[in-house]
Amino acid sequence: MALAEFTTSEPLTLGVELELQLVSTHDFDLAPQAEDLLRVLAKHSGAWDVKPEITRSMIEIGTSIQREHSGLVAELHDLRGQLSQAARKLNIGIAGGGTHAYQHWSDQQIFPTERFHYISELYGYLAKQFTVFGQHVHVGCEDGDTALWLLHALSRYVPHFIALSASSPFVQGVDTGFDSARLNSVFAFPLSGRAPFVTTWDDFGLYFDKMTSTGVVQSMKDFYWDIRPKPEFGTIELRVCDTPLDVDKAAALACYLQAICRYLREERPFEPSEDDYLVYTFNRFQACRFGLDGEIVDPQTKQREKLRDNIVRTLARVDEHALDLRSLDASNLIRDSLRHGNDAQWLRGLRASGEPLSSVVHSATERWMG
Amino acid sequence: MSLSSTFENWFAPSAATASWTLDRLRGIDPVLGFAIVMVVAVVLGEILRRRFRLPRLCGHMLTGALASPLALRLLERTDLDPVKPLIDLAIGVLVFELGSRIRPRWLIDNPWLALTCVLEGVLSGLAVYVGLLAFDAPSISAALAGAVAMSTSPVIVLALVHQMRPRGQVTERLLMMSAINSVLAVVALKAWGVLAASGGVGVEPVGLEPAITSALLVVSGSFLLGVAAGWVLTQLTKQVRGLTTAPVLQIALVIIAAMLAAQWRLSPLLALLVAGMVARSRMAHGLTVEPQLGTAGATLSVLLFICLGMLFTLDGFTTLWPWVLVIVVARLVGKGIAIAVLTRPSGLGWRQAGALTIALQPMSSLAVLLTADTFGWPSQLPGANGGVLQALLISTTLLQFIGPLLAERAVRDLAQECAPVPKTKAP
Repeated sequence: MALAEFTTSEPLTLGVELELQLVSTHDFDLAPQAEDLLRVLAKHSGAWDVKPEITRSMIEIGTSIQREHSGLVAELHDLRGQLSQAARKLNIGIAGGGTHAYQHWSDQQIFPTERFHYISELYGYLAKQFTVFGQHVHVGCEDGDTALWLLHALSRYVPHFIALSASSPFVQGVDTGFDSARLNSVFAFPLSGRAPFVTTWDDFGLYFDKMTSTGVVQSMKDFYWDIRPKPEFGTIELRVCDTPLDVDKAAALACYLQAICRYLREERPFEPSEDDYLVYTFNRFQACRFGLDGEIVDPQTKQREKLRDNIVRTLARVDEHALDLRSLDASNLIRDSLRHGNDAQWLRGLRASGEPLSSVVHSATERWMG
Repeated sequence: MSLSSTFENWFAPSAATASWTLDRLRGIDPVLGFAIVMVVAVVLGEILRRRFRLPRLCGHMLTGALASPLALRLLERTDLDPVKPLIDLAIGVLVFELGSRIRPRWLIDNPWLALTCVLEGVLSGLAVYVGLLAFDAPSISAALAGAVAMSTSPVIVLALVHQMRPRGQVTERLLMMSAINSVLAVVALKAWGVLAASGGVGVEPVGLEPAITSALLVVSGSFLLGVAAGWVLTQLTKQVRGLTTAPVLQIALVIIAAMLAAQWRLSPLLALLVAGMVARSRMAHGLTVEPQLGTAGATLSVLLFICLGMLFTLDGFTTLWPWVLVIVVARLVGKGIAIAVLTRPSGLGWRQAGALTIALQPMSSLAVLLTADTFGWPSQLPGANGGVLQALLISTTLLQFIGPLLAERAVRDLAQECAPVPKTKAP
């Protein structure tokens, strides 16, 4: 299969996808009821989309194309309201969070579609272990070359999004010590990590052809990169975020990305290079493991600083762009979360106060459903 | 006969009694007999499970039926009366667990579901009543059959859930509906009792008012008792705070609540359901209800199903089969129609609606069993026609045995709510 043409889309437009947990209101373990929820939501009134994910305890929602923070927040609130109402009708809960705290991977059931069965056959138990929940943010680009330039320029900011969104400290009933343990599940996939350093769409087409000729990949969907181009949408897709515990945080993260993209496009503060990736996996690990308290190394200056400080500095640089994009509220929410800590810390705080993990998931459910 | 003399007789090498005869087995102490039957039940349950994929409780009930006067007559039904408190406890434990398992708020969140729950109980009762009348059954007895036919056995449902560990809409609704239709059956039976008593044998009742008052008293009294029991359990659990002692406390509270309910002529079933709900809502994640309240509860549960098997009866089936057929079919139709009508508004799929209708079929006499003094409860019912009563018991027998099988298939194969068994390859 040849690489699709890169569809032109309006620059800096946004689309947010959230993978959500469906939990039982009895024991707050995952509930395989995606089909039921999709059936009840079949006639929802929003422009947003809701669809199945790989296992039957997950759903994915996607917003329509948005330009500003206010529109994105309004739509996310609308979908949260309709989703919550449908879930209550079915006696299930919906929660954010990158992992479910104590689900057992082998209990999960693959959602009955051709692609999910193919993935299950190909990856075996990894597919069920992929019962993790992420936020994907699409940013519109006018052409493929711009998309690839932006994709590589954004690599320096990937740790920001990991640390800010981190909400997966617990896996299979234990505290992993990671703020985002979800990304460890993604690493297990052979085509995960960073995209190859290719900066033009033509060169990317050659790379794609080579990969398809090896039979390793069939489509862009087989790449599980942290940021990947989505030619049919005309976007790049940031995939490193855990699903936050509430929709306001999800909107704020998307708009923080939008402001950084505008800053990069308009000011071109640096040119991305292959050397940016020398520190990429180290920075990524620090963000996953220690969250906002992790360290980040600048690939150019080789300076090391706290990730929290690096985000504060970046927020100051992009504030002007956030103002123009009318997303200062989003920036302020990000600033607040630097003070109060990320969602992983919130979840750990509940556990530390003596609550059982089922109660922690219950609290997360109440927070998401409102 | 004492236990020691039983053993002496059992092992004494006597030429006259060396052979293993049924008469010899019949002569042993009922307690020893029960223990042997329990061993057979557990083994048979496992064999049926592995060979024929039947629910274990079918094996337990089958063992009871084989030991009963229906087949080998190893134990008499009157042998059950001394163990009735244990059986009541087994039922109570399961009902309390069911109460803690369901979330009443769901009925407010989904009023169509609440309507389905009431409608399926009422329609199945009405269908049985009208059906029996059409086949010339006496009105008062037909009403009794209708009242009993409303309920789905909560203990069979819960035992299946323990065994299969299903997760999904059908399972959740099955639990909720079995709780509600059992309560409806309790209320209907109470009302029926008053009506029948006021009308006398074979005479039409004189007025609805005393029946309604009596039913209301039972419901409100049982509700208050359940709330009190749940509240007391919450307070005491705060003092105890230990996973090992929590089930002991729960069992003790179940016994107290059930006995008080029986003594005050209330419904132990409703009281324990409410106690479970209140305890769950007040303690939330602090309440840990072990399935069947632990190993002791599991043992009681095996004993319970053996006893239910021992109560199986098919006497008079050859003459009563039209009424039996009416009860079974009308009940199925009543429940099916109610669920089908409200399938879409309540958020269910058609396949699931079919599965739920089938899964609701296990019928039981538990609604009355808990309040009766002995297992011979049918004889205590005033004015009931013997033929209709026997037809009701035969229907219960059939649906108690076949029902779990159907329910298991419906939940597993039709609704697909059980995690698939992982494929393993030999090394």
